[in-house]
Amino acid sequence: MIETLRACTIDVFGTMVGTALAEGTPLDGDALRPQSNVVGQIGFGGSRSGLVVFYATFAGAGFITRMLLGLDEQTEPSKPEVADAIGEITNMIAGSFRTRMATDGDAWAISIPTVTMGSDFYMTPLTDGRRTMLPFRMQDHEIFVELVITTAKVRRA
Amino acid sequence: MRFLVVDDSSTMRRIIINTLNKIGYTDIVEAGNGREGIDRVSEGPVDLVITDWNMPEMNGIEFIRALRTMDGKDKLPVLMVTTNAAKDDIVEALRAGVNNYVVKPFTPETIKEKIDAVLAH
Repeated sequence: MIETLRACTIDVFGTMVGTALAEGTPLDGDALRPQSNVVGQIGFGGSRSGLVVFYATFAGAGFITRMLLGLDEQTEPSKPEVADAIGEITNMIAGSFRTRMATDGDAWAISIPTVTMGSDFYMTPLTDGRRTMLPFRMQDHEIFVELVITTAKVRRA
Repeated sequence: MRFLVVDDSSTMRRIIINTLNKIGYTDIVEAGNGREGIDRVSEGPVDLVITDWNMPEMNGIEFIRALRTMDGKDKLPVLMVTTNAAKDDIVEALRAGVNNYVVKPFTPETIKEKIDAVLAH
């Protein structure tokens, strides 16, 4: 699953942001908790359930927003524009992940994205699930994508 | 040729509009959900609709079903741009009246190919 999420992230950034990502080493559990300013989050459910979480700094999120909206380097996007852009990036990563994970007869769904912005907060899911953090470098910016998988399998009717 | 872009995300509307501009289309109107989309279609001529699926108030499928009941809009070309790419999703969209389907993420070349295919029909 983590390899699928990694491939989806690289694909979304290459296609929509026009930026190649340099990959770091995936880290399990709490080995890496990024102090990010803009966090997008989407829940998913299928044969497994959990969360896809996207982390960026204000500077990194601003860069992504400018690239998505076609703004020049001098233009500072507004906070609503940044929130919407990070929500959309998170949605595309999680949506691609959902599509690739789904197989015939195994329906997967994702929630709508939520975006949290601030300068002094820490994200930690209230679950005992397995967590893996994927670090990436996008030019001068570090971004992170986390996969949280709940431990219990989803029961089917 | 006038396009109508229907998406609740202002970012995605801008991305689609920038993409349309890149491939030579500049006459574009926008709507933030299906209900606004119906209003835009009622207000003036639209030659091709590009719509999202997941939207508040009236989603893309409900929008297309409503559009197909409007006078003279049964053949209006509709392209759906969405992350919903499961086989069942595509079947549901086609049954609702979508003419073609683009899965995010997409390139300008993909959008152009799909528009050309819809217009060729």
